[in-house]
Amino acid sequence: MNVNNISDSEASLARRTLGFTLQNIFKPILQIILFILCSILFLSFIVIFLALILRGSHTEIDLLNNVLVILPQVIIDGLVRGFLFATIALGYTMVYGVLEFINFAHGEIFMVGAFTGAGFASILNHFGFLKGFPAIPFLIISLLLGMFVSGSLALLTERIAYRRLRNAPRLVPLISALGVSLLLQDLMRMIVTATGLGFNTSYRTPDMGKPWQIAKFIIPDGRQAVMSIDSRSLNFIIAAMIMLIGLNYLVSATKLGKAIRAVAEDRHTASLMGVNVNQIISLTFLIGGALGGAAGVLFGIRVGTIDPYIGFLNGLKAFTAAVLGGIGNITGAMVGGILLGFLEAFVASYLSLFTNGEFAGANYADITAFSILILILIFRPAGLLGETVAQKV
Amino acid sequence: MATWQKFLKSDPVAYFLVTAYALLTTTLLLRYPRTNLATDLIFVLFLGTILILHKSALAKSYKLLISSLILGLALPFFGTLNPFYIDVATFIGIFVVLALGLNVVVGFAGLLDLGYVAFYAVGAYLWAIFSTPQAGQIWPAWSSHFPLAPLWFFLFIPFALIVGAAMGVLLGLPVLRLRGDYLAIVTLGFGEVIRVLATNLDRPINITNGAQGIKSIGRPPLFFAPFFQALGWNLSESQLYQLYFYFLVLIMVGITLVVVRHLNDSRIGRAWTAIREDETAAIAMGVPLVKMKLLAFAVGASFASVMGMLFAAKQLFINPPTFDLIRSISILSMVILGGMGSIPGVILGATLVTLLNLQLLPRVAMELGQLNLPPYIDPTRYQRMIFGLLLILMTIFRSEGILPEDRRQKELHEK
Amino acid sequence: MLLEAMNLTKLFGGLTAVNNVTFQVERGKIVSVIGPNGAGKTTFFNLLTGIYKPEQGNITFAGRPLRNLRPDQIAKRGISRTFQNIRLFNNMTVLENVLVGMHPRLKIPLWQIILRTKAMLREERQARERAQELLAFVGLEAKHGNLAKNLPYGDQRRLEIARAMASRPKLLLLDEPTAGMNPQETTEATQLIQRLRAELGVTIVLIEHDMQLVMSISEQITVLDSGSKIAEGTAAEIRHNPRVIEAYLGQGSLPNDKPKQQFSSSNT
Repeated sequence: MNVNNISDSEASLARRTLGFTLQNIFKPILQIILFILCSILFLSFIVIFLALILRGSHTEIDLLNNVLVILPQVIIDGLVRGFLFATIALGYTMVYGVLEFINFAHGEIFMVGAFTGAGFASILNHFGFLKGFPAIPFLIISLLLGMFVSGSLALLTERIAYRRLRNAPRLVPLISALGVSLLLQDLMRMIVTATGLGFNTSYRTPDMGKPWQIAKFIIPDGRQAVMSIDSRSLNFIIAAMIMLIGLNYLVSATKLGKAIRAVAEDRHTASLMGVNVNQIISLTFLIGGALGGAAGVLFGIRVGTIDPYIGFLNGLKAFTAAVLGGIGNITGAMVGGILLGFLEAFVASYLSLFTNGEFAGANYADITAFSILILILIFRPAGLLGETVAQKV
Repeated sequence: MATWQKFLKSDPVAYFLVTAYALLTTTLLLRYPRTNLATDLIFVLFLGTILILHKSALAKSYKLLISSLILGLALPFFGTLNPFYIDVATFIGIFVVLALGLNVVVGFAGLLDLGYVAFYAVGAYLWAIFSTPQAGQIWPAWSSHFPLAPLWFFLFIPFALIVGAAMGVLLGLPVLRLRGDYLAIVTLGFGEVIRVLATNLDRPINITNGAQGIKSIGRPPLFFAPFFQALGWNLSESQLYQLYFYFLVLIMVGITLVVVRHLNDSRIGRAWTAIREDETAAIAMGVPLVKMKLLAFAVGASFASVMGMLFAAKQLFINPPTFDLIRSISILSMVILGGMGSIPGVILGATLVTLLNLQLLPRVAMELGQLNLPPYIDPTRYQRMIFGLLLILMTIFRSEGILPEDRRQKELHEK
Repeated sequence: MLLEAMNLTKLFGGLTAVNNVTFQVERGKIVSVIGPNGAGKTTFFNLLTGIYKPEQGNITFAGRPLRNLRPDQIAKRGISRTFQNIRLFNNMTVLENVLVGMHPRLKIPLWQIILRTKAMLREERQARERAQELLAFVGLEAKHGNLAKNLPYGDQRRLEIARAMASRPKLLLLDEPTAGMNPQETTEATQLIQRLRAELGVTIVLIEHDMQLVMSISEQITVLDSGSKIAEGTAAEIRHNPRVIEAYLGQGSLPNDKPKQQFSSSNT
């Protein structure tokens, strides 16, 4: 795994100082914020440019103004999607960094997190506690529950289905992970249909306040373009941000993080140096799983309806995000997730507008992710932030 | 002459037992042709004859004789008595070919392809579009030429083969130079892309007819029907088609089997295995990695494409959900269950999983249904769980499969 | 000259694994590359076989440049190798391992394989006969049906050599062919290497830590240290070269003393 600076002997002294720690934590955050702003500017520029070019072929509608009026909301949509992919992608990337193994079941860990949140809310609702429940404690308890359940589940799958395959040919643990993924999908389906939540589980959560208006623009034809964010999405972004900062601190500034990086670098040497490799691998699954679970809880609260198969597509896209950013690289996973989120939001909103409704954007948004994946693999297989690592011979 | 000597030298008791077993199961099957649990069991025992033959040390000519009697005579005759089982047998054949094709990719070359069904979909849509007026929607100017006449079916078989192989190469080219696990994800994505395209490409040009699917797909010509009548066999049209597809599939199984075995016992098969074992050593020995991987991918894809065509013609109707992920997974399960790289293993795996899907699960569901259990226990609805468990258990406890490939045996059979 | 490598340089991040090395091999010679662990010897082999691309420098083999060729193309041109940490195809039989090595020499097209024509069967039969001959050459003919992973260590080393010879290479690169062998086995391996040249006419470059072996069979010795070539010459010249002795100090003293091997070098 490649978390900015892997220590050399000189840096290890400086590492202990507070300034270095802060720099290590906040530098990636600043990088991400900068990256978000650049992506917004770049993509907005592209759609406006396209609108100006295509204006001639769409005489019956005012393309430019139609593009502009939804632009602020598309940006917010992209941001929320982006953080979703980023949080799930972290689980893929951490496990890949340590074990060089794609944990197919991670999407389902996310799904289980979402259902843990749904279960908690439904139980509260059942006993009539939900109505008066304050929003912030609800959010925190749901998150902790989701993180606990998903983290433990990830730990358990590693222990049962992956650990004994660690020295098997590469194909074998992948197949096992695929099996876990399928098993969890239907196990959850069985649980939700048996408990009466239903395949499509809709549930209520406490009121989280009004949408927050960020900005208002007047576009050329006089209409207002409002940039606002609803409180659930805002919670999502804030919680995701806090977790990313926490993870960055853990990995880059603590002893545990150092052990994780050591195992990622060379498992055998790390074990010679007294690192308990099994424990660290378990920990990686625990952290990745907990993050995935938290993402699930937040996702569920935001959309309000979930089903046992949500993990599949979201997991696939999050994996794409991890590859996009450079798999094994934590900052890369966030950057990749956010970029993918933006691209998807823009395709979903603008494709049908630009093609006169010939191509339904929402349907093709899913394909965007895979097209990007394939393009990235052709042109920059190491990802945006990844380094090309020579294979060991 | 040599075969005869071998035949005489072999243990007569073994011949007697196997022949008796084959006769017994066949008689029982023909005696009780009604669809029920008992016949299900007899049917499985009947198919088991092939496995027993494979495992026995009897003369090759005898094995061939009994297998062809069972598959070419007894089973089709039984099919005229009960259409359900011949349908099951046809599906077993289709999945045997698909599993053998996927086995080339996964088992021989060690490349995890999770979107295999996409190639199956390509073949199916290819024939579905051209054998119905659907093609006229794509090229309105030529719409009078469509649907194509039934005889075109046979021309489309090589065409589907080429298109499937080309798709395999197109998908493989960017991905196959990368590490194996990326391939798994990209093929998974590709499977989804094909399904999404099939669902959405009814606009701006109606190519796939979207979510409604394509119906009244053309079937191959019944050119032999007059002969049958002349011989005094009065079979209904649906019976004729059933036997027709059964034999078409049987021929495909035979061809696939020969092709796969020939490939495996050649420089190409050895190159695949070498790649699976150690890519770096393989390339250092002069094995062109990308070329060989592409070849594996193309071979697998072309089998799938042709079978997709047969499937479309047999079912008369296809729609996007027919080609969802779970079908790719079930074909993968066949390969894993039987044994990656093992041809007899994969055939067994395909048979068992198809029987599980078409016979065992519906049967259990029916029996459970009489017990007034809540509907969510219906096992036919939990395919993912069943395949998931199968994959986990097989990888952990018996990753070589139930009938693993035996390399030493290969050494003995030298021409 | 069979092989000419001019000014090869390979970097891994900040580390210069191979630094401006020029290396020439005459046809029919046995040449050794020696140097302390981590000197870049295996990286150098990986450059010659195309597994790594050099940042700088050219390699010419049999008069033709090897630039931009893939490892399999280089193997086809006639450079074959063994690996430091034996890399056989473990779940294939001994015979099959050799047959894979023959891959670049087998020409029969796909359609003939699918139809299993007479020509295909003939080529296959000839290949098997040749593989058996090679196995006999290294003394493994009786074990042709065993799985490679079930062979004892010494046999695995010999099988690797047979596999590498299957493509009829002009140049054979042996990466520590006697690592982990006892003196008896080492003597046998030495004889095998000499027979390879004498009877099959192949030029040999070997990486070796066993100085006795190196000094006894090499006509030319190249010494690498920290990626750079520090000396080149005959056994006698190298034995008394002060830079070589210096490079080896702390690792054991020259000659006749094998450096410690328990931390096998990962020369990547």
